[in-house]
Amino acid sequence: MRYLEEEQNDVKIGLEIHFQVSGRKLFCECKGEEGTKEIGSFTRKLAVVSGEKSEKDAAALQESMKGREFEYRKTENSCLVEMDEEPPHYPGKDTLETAIIVSLILGCKVVDNVHFMRKIVIDGSNTSGFQRTGIVGLHGVFKMGPSNIGVTSVTLEEEACRKIKEEENKVVYSLDRLGIPLIEISTEPDIRSPKEAREVAESIGLAVKQSRMIRRETSSIRQDLNVSIRGGNRVEIKGVQSLSQIEKVLSKEIERQRSLVEIAGILRNRDVSTDFHIEDLTNSSFFKSSDVFTKGLKAGKKIFGFTLPGLSGVLNNGKYRLGREIAERLKTVGIGGFIHSDELPNYGIGEAEKKEISKRLGTKNEDAFGLVSLESNRLSQCIEIIQNRIAEAKKGVPAETRGATENDTRFLRPLPGSSRMYPETDIPLIPLDSAYIKDVERKVPPTVEQRVSHLESLGIPRQEAFVSLWKEYDDVLESFVNDFGNPKVCARFLAVVFASERPDVVKASMLVERFSRGNIPSESLEALYREGVFSMPGGRKIILKKDDRSNYVLELHGNDGNKELGPDFKFKGQSDKRLLKIIESVIVENEKLVRERGEGSFKLLMGEVMKQVRGEFEGKDISDLLKKMISEASHKDEKN
Amino acid sequence: MSSDFDSGDRIEIQWKGTKFSGMFISRDEKVTVIKLQNGYNLSLDNGSITSINLISKFIPRKTNISERTGTGKKVFLLGTGGTIASYVDYETGAVKPARTVQEMLYAQPDLAKIATIDADIILNILSEDVQKKDWINIARKIYEKADQEEGVVITHGTDVLSFTSSAIAFLLENPKAPVVFTASQRSPDRPSSDAFFNLSGAMKVAQSDVGQVCVVMHSSTSDDSLYIHSGVRLRKMHSSRRDAFKSINSEPIGRIDKNLEIHWGSYERLGGKPMKLYDKMSERVGLLYFYPGMSEELFNKFADINDGLIIAGTGLGHMTNRFISQVSDYTNQGKIIGMTTQCLYGSVDMDVYTTGRNLQKAGIIPLQDMLPEVAFTKLSFLLGNFDPETSRSLLVKNLRGEISGRRTE
Repeated sequence: MRYLEEEQNDVKIGLEIHFQVSGRKLFCECKGEEGTKEIGSFTRKLAVVSGEKSEKDAAALQESMKGREFEYRKTENSCLVEMDEEPPHYPGKDTLETAIIVSLILGCKVVDNVHFMRKIVIDGSNTSGFQRTGIVGLHGVFKMGPSNIGVTSVTLEEEACRKIKEEENKVVYSLDRLGIPLIEISTEPDIRSPKEAREVAESIGLAVKQSRMIRRETSSIRQDLNVSIRGGNRVEIKGVQSLSQIEKVLSKEIERQRSLVEIAGILRNRDVSTDFHIEDLTNSSFFKSSDVFTKGLKAGKKIFGFTLPGLSGVLNNGKYRLGREIAERLKTVGIGGFIHSDELPNYGIGEAEKKEISKRLGTKNEDAFGLVSLESNRLSQCIEIIQNRIAEAKKGVPAETRGATENDTRFLRPLPGSSRMYPETDIPLIPLDSAYIKDVERKVPPTVEQRVSHLESLGIPRQEAFVSLWKEYDDVLESFVNDFGNPKVCARFLAVVFASERPDVVKASMLVERFSRGNIPSESLEALYREGVFSMPGGRKIILKKDDRSNYVLELHGNDGNKELGPDFKFKGQSDKRLLKIIESVIVENEKLVRERGEGSFKLLMGEVMKQVRGEFEGKDISDLLKKMISEASHKDEKN
Repeated sequence: MSSDFDSGDRIEIQWKGTKFSGMFISRDEKVTVIKLQNGYNLSLDNGSITSINLISKFIPRKTNISERTGTGKKVFLLGTGGTIASYVDYETGAVKPARTVQEMLYAQPDLAKIATIDADIILNILSEDVQKKDWINIARKIYEKADQEEGVVITHGTDVLSFTSSAIAFLLENPKAPVVFTASQRSPDRPSSDAFFNLSGAMKVAQSDVGQVCVVMHSSTSDDSLYIHSGVRLRKMHSSRRDAFKSINSEPIGRIDKNLEIHWGSYERLGGKPMKLYDKMSERVGLLYFYPGMSEELFNKFADINDGLIIAGTGLGHMTNRFISQVSDYTNQGKIIGMTTQCLYGSVDMDVYTTGRNLQKAGIIPLQDMLPEVAFTKLSFLLGNFDPETSRSLLVKNLRGEISGRRTE
């Protein structure tokens, strides 16, 4: 659904969603799993090489400037192919088929031939220095409610190495993840708000999961985001791990881009120049009480000050943060500790010293200054990077690749151009003839809506049906309902079993899944529910109990009768509803307070609720739910 | 539909009802390859394309022809093809050896920090297409350059590298300057190519005082150390790994660390002796890999067309007793038959078993721990430049370090 009130007309967002495909690795017979045992290591360097038309790619070049060494840890699920010591093998048939099915799910046209390319990536995350990738589907349309989201392409590519740690001039990677098949879905920039971006990612995720070939590990889905605003350039944000992160990261990034456009507007009316006046301030007395600088001096570094003509106020005034942009660029070449006049007094440099430095450098009205401590042979590189960033600031938002942090972004490298790709010559063209595609078309699963409708027709509540699809236990749920009847209880029971991310519970959910495939007891779930015992294959039992707070508790018992896990998750249901009712009534009673104080009313209401529940529920559960409901109630008021 | 587009032309294409623009790459009877704006190549069946229209013609860039620049001694870089000088062929989508050395230098500007380089390409063929006449041409060129320069580096394909390095070692006596071969197992179009480190190491060795033909290649899968092998003692022992080359029955003559420092073992230094070029090789020398059940007919045909035969025999140097009378006949005709071992590691010893003794009686010459390929190039060199009698006596004599009496592994 489009959220019209959220739509931001000057914003364009496109997604690149990556799914790991289960089964073997894409170009060898190794198992596609992470965390296998390490069995040795080796080190490599990567060089920049010329592209097809002898153009060196800017992004690739920058990475290589770092001159880093890469250590790779061999694992039990890696072979000479991952070591870049053997040509890639022919891609797995099932993997290719999955990519075709995903293309068809997303309404794409399937290509005549899969033509694998080498995408140059020299941050070491691929031992070869490139990622193998090939287009499988093109020009699709994904329907999400009333909206049509254009699907640019569906590609099949290899997963990169897993980074273990980063040291100075050295990055350590594991080969366990390298080569796991990855399906990348790129959308057109048809998305207009962070919220819509999240919706699209979620819906596409659910649709693609219907292929049943997507790895279930939490790290197996990742998003890259492309976002631009009017008057700016495209920025690519890499490595967004969760759906909830999408919204946070995008909102922050849009804010950053808007401020950069505004900065460009300000700079246009100022006398901005990249002709800095630079002075060696190593022997001055300005930095006596500054730990940052005295530390550098002890390490044999020098301190340089330089004017930043016309930049006062835009380096950092709370809203504008060009200073941070510059610092991020410097960090990529290992220059830290860039300090500018907008953030002073601070770092042991007082107002008096600030004035003295200004005077010494000869700054004028709108001029700022910068300070940096480094080896003198790196000064010219440092100044050049700052000059380049300022030149870009005059134009607005530079095209760049940024990395996602929890709820923000940071600079990684300039946006790569198209010259970083050339054909993978070790793999022949893979023809996909129409007879084969017809064959695969028959394997395309029902759509999410069709599947949900079917589950609803069995009496499963719609929301629970969605959850079962998302967690991929809808087949288990269906067979439970077929065998035991009572769809609501089945749905709730399995929702609990499959809800947790905890490893012991995940184990239990696997047992339930296995249990549902064979050896299904003839008794109905109701009977088991009464007895509180689910018999498992191999003599194991899942036992349902009520604890002293009337919560249902699930325990797994081994065939020796000993408890293997639990009481580790609570069967919420009846009891949750009771809590909901209590909170609702407290909010209604205090309607005026909630309206006036919003979230500020929490403390008072919490006290009220606690009086009524008398220790029946966990404190955290209560506060989470209460916060959520207060927020909903106060926002509802705003809209009215 | 017109197909007279050049690689690089901007075109607009209609396919399966959708339209996109891109760069024309190539077209054959089945597929048309275009490059999309995002860098991906699409290979579309010609039959599924409705139309292609030209948007604009490609204007090729002028390529830089590198002038002789750099620091360090004058080193001549001789290109003879192979992966180390490979490029992407758009017609077949395959890696082909044909890139100019100038381009290679352009791609590896760091080389100029190691040596003052001049370059030439004299051969541009795949390893497996190399012939004896090519070895003679390479030897002539090296002879000429070793006289003018302070070192010569030769890039070559890996597949038959040890044939070529040993052939050159025999053809070129007392080289006046270091003669260093190098190659790569990963083509230099890849950021992970071993070419960069191998070439840098070879450039260093070319500025040293080494007086024997040698080969510089990775010592392990890591980019942290290289081996300097004697050109007559090494063999490709893996089809794809970077460290495919091993010195067999001898230690490498040196090692190069990641800072490009050379750590020499035992090696021949440049001496004052005059350099001599032998520029002939016999075309009538063959190499035969013996296998169980090999027919007499095959052996006879092979022996008939050659004056010199190197046998890669089993174990200590054997082949079937059935061939003994023919062997006698051939050696009596003056043909030279030498025995090496398929085991590669270790020496032949034809005194241990009866078969070995009988084969010796029939005239087969045991070639000690010489590698089969090296014995082959050596005998080709000998029969090309000396009479059979001299050839026979020189074959078992250590000329360039190809034979050793003592082995430690």
